[in-house]
Amino acid sequence: MPQTSNAQESYMRFPVIHRFLHLVVMLGFIGLAITGFSLKFSSQGWAKAVVLILGGAGRTASVHKTLAVVTYLCVVAHILWLIYYKAILKGQLTGPQSMFPRVKDLRDLIDHIKYFFGKGPLPKFERFTYLEKFDYLALLFGMNTMGMTGMVLWSPEFFTRVLPGYFINLAQILHVYEAMMAVALKFVVHTFSTHLRPENFPIDKSIFNGRMSKERMIRDHAGEWERIGQTSTTPSSD
Amino acid sequence: MRENGRGLGRHPQLLVLIREVRGQALEKRFVIFALFGLLSSALLRPIVCDAKEPLISAYADGKERVCLDCHRSPNINTNEGVINSRAICMECHSKSECNKDIGTQQVSLQLGKNSFGKTPHRYVACVQCHRDLARLPHESEAGAQCLSCHVVHGEKEIHDPHLRVRCQACHRVSKYVVLDHKSNEVRLSHFDENGTVVSLTNHSLPDVKNKEFCLRCHFKGNRVGAAAAVLPSKSVICMLCHTSPISIGHKLFWIPLLLLVLGVLSLILFWFKGNVEGEKDSLHRKIALASEKIWQKIFSREIFTLFSVFFLDVILQRRLLQESVRRWGLHSLIYLSIVLRFSLSVFTLVVFNLWPHSSWAMALINKDTAFVAFTYDLLGLFIIIGVCWAAISRLITKPPHVISEMQDNLALVIIGLLVVFGFILEGARILITQIPGGIAWYSFIGFPLSRLLSDFGFDWPYIYQFIWYAHAFVGAALIAYLPFGKMKHVISTPLNLMISYKDE
Repeated sequence: MPQTSNAQESYMRFPVIHRFLHLVVMLGFIGLAITGFSLKFSSQGWAKAVVLILGGAGRTASVHKTLAVVTYLCVVAHILWLIYYKAILKGQLTGPQSMFPRVKDLRDLIDHIKYFFGKGPLPKFERFTYLEKFDYLALLFGMNTMGMTGMVLWSPEFFTRVLPGYFINLAQILHVYEAMMAVALKFVVHTFSTHLRPENFPIDKSIFNGRMSKERMIRDHAGEWERIGQTSTTPSSD
Repeated sequence: MRENGRGLGRHPQLLVLIREVRGQALEKRFVIFALFGLLSSALLRPIVCDAKEPLISAYADGKERVCLDCHRSPNINTNEGVINSRAICMECHSKSECNKDIGTQQVSLQLGKNSFGKTPHRYVACVQCHRDLARLPHESEAGAQCLSCHVVHGEKEIHDPHLRVRCQACHRVSKYVVLDHKSNEVRLSHFDENGTVVSLTNHSLPDVKNKEFCLRCHFKGNRVGAAAAVLPSKSVICMLCHTSPISIGHKLFWIPLLLLVLGVLSLILFWFKGNVEGEKDSLHRKIALASEKIWQKIFSREIFTLFSVFFLDVILQRRLLQESVRRWGLHSLIYLSIVLRFSLSVFTLVVFNLWPHSSWAMALINKDTAFVAFTYDLLGLFIIIGVCWAAISRLITKPPHVISEMQDNLALVIIGLLVVFGFILEGARILITQIPGGIAWYSFIGFPLSRLLSDFGFDWPYIYQFIWYAHAFVGAALIAYLPFGKMKHVISTPLNLMISYKDE
């Protein structure tokens, strides 16, 4: 739940742990994409250049694995944080201020499209818009599938004690296509929908400094803005 | 390409040629064809050799050999090349009459089908490892080159004294080892304990999970300069002064690490007992406010000020120097020496992990390299001088600012003991591993000490393990003691300096 900071009329949107995890996941994800695709498309010139810089395919693979561990640790940290948030801070994991999908998101989507065509006002988004929820949930589930398939590819000998051999092929295919999808989603959809949109161009700083200005709150998160005004004593989320 | 190649499949050389020629301009092709013709006519001649007695017969399968039968340098990275290349070697080495004279005895050099057991090396060409054998005289100078593919072990499994142990001494099934004084290396011996020649043709590898081969050297009364017991590897806590692996190692090291973590945690919790930015009760709010503050400092220009504070005040101890040059000197002899040793071990770890084949990595992980031996001994000496100086000022001269407490003395005793044990250990290592004086004298304390120790006539290979454990125990005590008592200042003072730098 945001809190006011009177000096700059800005609102705390993300606590430090969220900023930190976002930063690590962002860097880890970029690194994973570069090393992973360099290995996948090893015949390409750019891939050879990357592999040359990193010192060979073996080293590229170990960088990839190290980054994977670091990135997945962020997912684990985030899940632990969710448990802490629910159990100790008595916060809510569902409801308007959460990442949990709601029917309102669908309505927001339709209203938003209407707004694009000038047929209605901008919908009153809650703390997280449907686009942000989609980004978040896609990453949360995507990381787990990437993690699982990645582990199968990391130690196939171990997993084939239990799983049939074609699971290795399955893991390979899933890992590659999931990676392409994730890269497309993050580097295109996420980048455009948060950073490159006209309101925020060139970068949305709120995930880095944790703050959001009053004007942006009123415009982009009107639903939340109204709710804070009504009940300012709800438990803090940070 | 495939359609073209199908008919030519039996002639891979021709295929390669066609592939190479394809991209060339038309005129160039003629030049290449002409050159190729000249070259092949020059090489495909019958045998004319300077050797008085050829090693292999001039005829194989009723046909006269040509030079290129053997000297054609097949691509041993392909299966075809491996098979071709091995066929040449096995022409002799599969026969029972393939023998070698060692002194008056004969040893068989015959390789059977089972000589390789199940090792992956059964798919590798002989010359991949025996690199300098395909020549005359047919005798290797360098031996098999494991390191052209593999990397030396780091500190984790096999610590530094093993750098002079040839790979085969452990990774072969033959169990007779010898210390070769000429090359200062421990290698497989051609003789068993009775002086009978043993054949080393069995190329299979012993199971590395079963550490039985350690006992080839590590037993009481061994003659290769090994300690009488198999000692554990270093732990990550040794990083403070030594190159170490990032693993906990022996069970002994769990205790200090646990105490360190618990101590640091309790220190942090202690700090958070006070109020943070006005918040007195909620620990959650205190952590949130503190982390917000840290985040803002890191992502602002103040980070550069923090860097300079870290370098000048934390590393170089500017404030202490302003107070008293004498105290700064005393403190720096101990503190800066440990910082330098720590930096060197971190640097070594990074270099070894990134470029394990490089000469830098090999030099840095070797304790007997001139630079490493000298630096470690010099810094150790500085610590000893610092500890002695501190002890004198605390116990004898007692200047007014010194308030000698039991805690302070304990810290000094631990550090002093650690370094003394370290030097004795180094002396004993140089003594028992019989490192030649020409190499060892760079350890300008360890080497004289080793000569001194040799006068005592103890069974040093046996005693070595006890000194090792004593050193490790004191080191563990130092790490465990860090967040408590006097040594707490190692953690709290830098943090205080970093937080309160604005007060200047």
